[in-house]
Amino acid sequence: MSDQTHLPGHDLAPGEEEQHSVGERVLGYVVGLGLALLLTATSFFIAGTDLVWQPSIPVALIVLAIAQMGVHLVFFLHITTGPDNTNNVLALAFGLLVVFLVVGGTVWIMSHLNANMPPMDQIMPKPM
Amino acid sequence: MLGKLDWSAIPFDQPIPLVAGGVVLVAILAVLIWVVVKGHLPYLWHEWITSVDHKRIGVMYILLASVMLLRGGSDAIMMRIQQAVAYQSQGYLPPEHYNQIFSAHGTIMIFFVAMPFVIGLMNLVVPLQLGVRDVAFPTLNSVGFWLTATGALLVNLSLVIGEFARTGWLAFPPLSELSYSPGVGVDYYAWSLQISGVGTLVAGINLVTTVLKLRTRGMNYLRMPMFCWTTLASNLLIVAAFPILTATLAMLLLDRYFGFHFFTNEAGGNVMMFMNLIWAWGHPEVYILVLPAFGIFSEVVSTFSGKALFGYRSMVLATMAICVISFMVWLHHFFTMGAGPDVNAIFGIASMIIAVPTGVKIYNWLFTMYGGRIRFATPMLWAVGFMVTFIIGGLTGVLVAVPPADFMLHNSMFLVAHFHNVIIGGVLFGAFAGFEYWFPKAFGFRLDERWGKLAFWFTFLGFYVTFLPLYIAGMLGMTRRLQHYDVAAWRPWMFMAAFGMLILSIGVICQIMQLVVSIRNREALRDRTGDPWDGRSLEWATSSPPPVFNFAFNPDVRGEDAYWDMKSRARQQSLEHDEPEYQDIEMPRNSPTGFVCAFFATIMGFALIWHIWWMVILGGLGAWATFVVFAWRDHDEYVIPAAEVAAIDRVNLEERRSLVSMAGIV
Ligand code: HEM
Ligand SMILES: [Cu+2]
Repeated sequence: MSDQTHLPGHDLAPGEEEQHSVGERVLGYVVGLGLALLLTATSFFIAGTDLVWQPSIPVALIVLAIAQMGVHLVFFLHITTGPDNTNNVLALAFGLLVVFLVVGGTVWIMSHLNANMPPMDQIMPKPM
Repeated sequence: MLGKLDWSAIPFDQPIPLVAGGVVLVAILAVLIWVVVKGHLPYLWHEWITSVDHKRIGVMYILLASVMLLRGGSDAIMMRIQQAVAYQSQGYLPPEHYNQIFSAHGTIMIFFVAMPFVIGLMNLVVPLQLGVRDVAFPTLNSVGFWLTATGALLVNLSLVIGEFARTGWLAFPPLSELSYSPGVGVDYYAWSLQISGVGTLVAGINLVTTVLKLRTRGMNYLRMPMFCWTTLASNLLIVAAFPILTATLAMLLLDRYFGFHFFTNEAGGNVMMFMNLIWAWGHPEVYILVLPAFGIFSEVVSTFSGKALFGYRSMVLATMAICVISFMVWLHHFFTMGAGPDVNAIFGIASMIIAVPTGVKIYNWLFTMYGGRIRFATPMLWAVGFMVTFIIGGLTGVLVAVPPADFMLHNSMFLVAHFHNVIIGGVLFGAFAGFEYWFPKAFGFRLDERWGKLAFWFTFLGFYVTFLPLYIAGMLGMTRRLQHYDVAAWRPWMFMAAFGMLILSIGVICQIMQLVVSIRNREALRDRTGDPWDGRSLEWATSSPPPVFNFAFNPDVRGEDAYWDMKSRARQQSLEHDEPEYQDIEMPRNSPTGFVCAFFATIMGFALIWHIWWMVILGGLGAWATFVVFAWRDHDEYVIPAAEVAAIDRVNLEERRSLVSMAGIV
């Protein structure tokens, strides 16, 4: 049913995009792999180092992790900003929104669970 | 060798499940023998069981849902009778049995009635409405269906081998943990849902892709029928929410099988996390169910009012708004858990906001009817009945979404009344409306209107007599899931509810009668035009039942209400009479992949429940091998020659021409 799927201006599924030459595609994956490895190595290095200010380590790890996701999306999942990619980008945005809502909401809810509890030392008699 | 399984698993001491199970078993055997003796087996195998045709799969989903509706309905009748008689006594159902019944009832009604019914309707109709030949992944579609059937089978198996969960339909820990539920009940529950959950996810991916990627020429997003939009929204929710359910149940299973402590009382487990996660799926789930119903009502109301849907774009917007907001309200199911006023207030307000797009829809339907030439055929009756009933359910929903009120009403009979009000009045009425509306499309003959109307009135009345008393009982302080009680004031309301159940049952019987009578009179009820209701969207542009390839040509869409538009144009131009040039059509071949896969999944599920590890491996390997064989297949399509397409299409075209020219004279 390819006559239905390739309407002009219609977007493409991953893997359906124009075929580049093999060399070009391999190059793309190699660059992606290199970047991914670099980011991974950096994360491991940062986690154990005392070269940087200690409290900045978690922040650095988060930044590196987000960059890692970006590399995967661009080089491996081929998410681009082209017009043939609208659906993929929208799906990604929807997914991110849901993850943000559920994870953020969960953290918020669970951290408030004991809001109505009086402090422990008021419920439990202090040991004599 | 057989894990935990031995003769003690068969409940010889409990006559009710044994007799019920026996009767079902005999019935199934009788049907099987009849099928084999009559020689229908090859037909069933080639035309249905291995079919990858979205219409057939849709019909099988609906059949599964209907059968399970009878099972879930029997549970309901038993519970209503128990609560009517168990005043200051034990009634006739001992607690452990009663608890299994309400758990099975909820599980079955949500996962194996409501879900397959709406998924079946979407499967049947959406490709037709989009003007295409099939869904995006036909074989995957069949796999999805058969995995759902596996889940249903396992739940029913628990009736005679072992027991079902006694934990309620969401299996809250710590009750569902090993220390309080050592039996196999919770395992039956969890594995059924894990397996059928895969099926649902697959169906969701398939339908999202279908709507996004397969639309006929000119069918851009803002020309899609409303049902396609709600299908899109609902399936986006499936894809986003069902993994949460799977992960949550997986954690519960890890607790139960490997001694983890996600949700246990001790060793740092957190019960509240289960509530949080399960409802992060659970609230979207209710919209997964009701959004397609909204779509069905939109189609029905506009067809039977003879008008385009009022405020189409606002309807689209409302649908997509619900799709997003439904992920922002889940805490309203556990206001009383103690997250404090800040959190409760925010989620309470979000819950009220979600009622706004729903209200927009109600007004749109009303304005569609306003000034229309309304025909009160059976589907329209269900639609109007829905509007009245759903408004009440929505209002009580907003009421329990007010945290202070919810502290009084949470887990009372009032809550039970609320969700039945929206699920029966919304989802079930919607499913019935869709069933009545699209039945002629699926089978080529109409349903008997007289029995259909009787079914509607009994169900409608029966619903109110059953569930309004529950609101009152809830106000009087009655909590849900009581096996017996000592409060005299509740009793009259329980009697009334049981009586209502009787009326509802008559409604169900009428529905069955309608089917029987219609099948018997099918020649008189035959619809040759393919357009029995004077429809507006593309499913009515092909014959009933549609040929495997749906459309000889992909229709060309130039506006909203595509088929209506074509009909009007045809009337003006008195139809081109030259024969179109037919071409070969490629269709996907049927495949037993789904059935075989589900066969092994059933074995694996059963073995997991009973800890029969060698059998788990066997089932797993089988399912995997099936997948490999399918992945390496050589021929996945066959060709229908142009001559055959022409022969099939000509008949339909003739009928349609005469229909249009007749209308043209008027
Ligand atoms: C106007 C929109 C709605 C609002 C504001 C709303 C609000 C609520 C609230 C606050 C609860 C929890 C009450 C409690 O546990 O004390 C609840 C329960 C429930 N609602 Fe709704 N609701 C709405 C629509 C729906 C719809 C459309 C459905 C289904 C199609 C639905 C199905 C359910 C179910 C199944 C439960 C109870 C589940 C359980 O505890 O077992 N609701 N609703
Ligand atoms: Cu909810």
